[in-house]
Amino acid sequence: MIEVRDIAKSFGRVRAVRGVSFDVGRGEVAGLLGANGAGKTTTLRMITGFLPPDAGVIRIVGLDMAQQSVEARRRIGYLPESAPAYSEMLARDYLTYRARLFGLDRRAVRARVGHVMDRCGLGPVARRRIGHLSKGFRQRVGLASALLHDPEVLVLDEPTNGLDPAQIRAARELIKELAQDRTVLISSHILPEIELVCDRVIIMAAGRVRADGRVSELLATSDDLARYYVEIRPKADGRGTAGEAAVELVRAIRGVRSARSKGSHGEWAKVTIDAERGAGDLREPIAVAAGRAGALVRELHADKPSLERLFLRIMETEETPGGGENREERR
Amino acid sequence: MRAVQVIAVREFASFFRLPVGWVVIALYLLLTGLVFGATVLRPGEAASLRNFFGWANWLLLPIAPAVSMRLFSEETRSGTAEGLMTAPVSDAAVVLGKFVGGGMFLAALLFPTLVYVAVLGGASDPAPDPGPIVAGYLSLLLVSGLYLSIGLLASSLTSNQTLAFIGTLLGLVIVLMVTSTATGWAPAWLADLLAALSIPARVGDFAKGVIDTGNVVFFLAATAWFLVLTYVAVGSRRWR
Repeated sequence: MIEVRDIAKSFGRVRAVRGVSFDVGRGEVAGLLGANGAGKTTTLRMITGFLPPDAGVIRIVGLDMAQQSVEARRRIGYLPESAPAYSEMLARDYLTYRARLFGLDRRAVRARVGHVMDRCGLGPVARRRIGHLSKGFRQRVGLASALLHDPEVLVLDEPTNGLDPAQIRAARELIKELAQDRTVLISSHILPEIELVCDRVIIMAAGRVRADGRVSELLATSDDLARYYVEIRPKADGRGTAGEAAVELVRAIRGVRSARSKGSHGEWAKVTIDAERGAGDLREPIAVAAGRAGALVRELHADKPSLERLFLRIMETEETPGGGENREERR
Repeated sequence: MRAVQVIAVREFASFFRLPVGWVVIALYLLLTGLVFGATVLRPGEAASLRNFFGWANWLLLPIAPAVSMRLFSEETRSGTAEGLMTAPVSDAAVVLGKFVGGGMFLAALLFPTLVYVAVLGGASDPAPDPGPIVAGYLSLLLVSGLYLSIGLLASSLTSNQTLAFIGTLLGLVIVLMVTSTATGWAPAWLADLLAALSIPARVGDFAKGVIDTGNVVFFLAATAWFLVLTYVAVGSRRWR
């Protein structure tokens, strides 16, 4: 439904997007992740036809955005970042205007405006000026506007921006519901949000796609993201603190990449352990090593790799001088 | 065409939702009212609106840019351009819709000045000749359209309304000065060319009651030219 092939975009000397490719299939909900400035919004603006790419091809439901732009745009419902709308207009008037702009006939305009207002909970503010609405309601007006023409493809740039926790939950439910018969591409930097809503994530950094796949698959191939917490009482030997002794003990275990003490309480020390890639489950080796050294363990648990950790890892690679480029060469 | 209508109606209505629309109308009516009282409604003066039309055209100079300045600039500044340009409408429909919406507002602004015609008709005997009045209003509409299209171009080039206003006003003043004074300084061939572009000279013909096809075509062609330039500017903005 959304086909993006090797698109690039520069603004002067800034290369905002460099050779991005991905597909989003029918009924799929994909999350576009990235730090601020990663190129997410520029990518979405190219997909929705607001900006033409300098290179590459975009197809929406098979329609080439460069050649059949108006037809392609008709298939997309787009919520731009911060949901800009004419502040002097009443919410209902604005939606009516948008429905007409999308070519709906008189009867359809009335029906669809009523429908999306119900769906987005805009009834109470129908006769209020958009400029006087809270950020949450403005965001909902933007979402309602994107749904007016019942598009096959939904592109939402930071849809939960400015919403309170209850509204975020409602928006999440709505997006899940909408996704049942649509293709949805959502950009966000709120990771738990994306994990809850999206089947799949595309992570961008510095204008490139750094990871693309189902969350579970991406995490399965990233076992170096595993982290362990252990509370341990090393055998007292009179040298250093319990924390230092504990760190020394676990660092010697095969498969441990790093360990650091989170502080000691008397004889007990809390230690966080990061595993090496391919190390497997380290809980048993940790327990065994502690037993051999005469130490006592009263808590040991593994933290599952999370999208957040994967994301931060990618960001770290990006920030390492030359890290991003090296990675690119390996791919 | 439907998109043009939808955009035009929204633009037209939005002038009345904002203070700027009412301020512009009030200002124009106040100034033309003063002109009408001072130059037309005078004992012994011929029953003609010729002086009024001359002034009414000059007064469009600051009014038209005030109307055109927000048409594109405000969309760019507030980000609503993104919603408009990703809707399934062509750039041409957007430009035409904005132009028609602004034009409708300027026509609505001129409409109350018909009161002056009624007052003059009631106050003078014999009644004023309708020919110059029709021609005068036609000139006001044509000049409004031309100024509006120039202002639209300026508005499409910047997200700053003030800059769009000043740019349009300055451009218009320079064009008016250069074309009106050309005979004094330019070589003959250039002076003739510049004089042909003089807006006041052509407006003068209308005020006399003469509707010259050449003059009408001049205004329509110049307006179309600036609309095409705006269309190109809007399209190129997508490429920036």
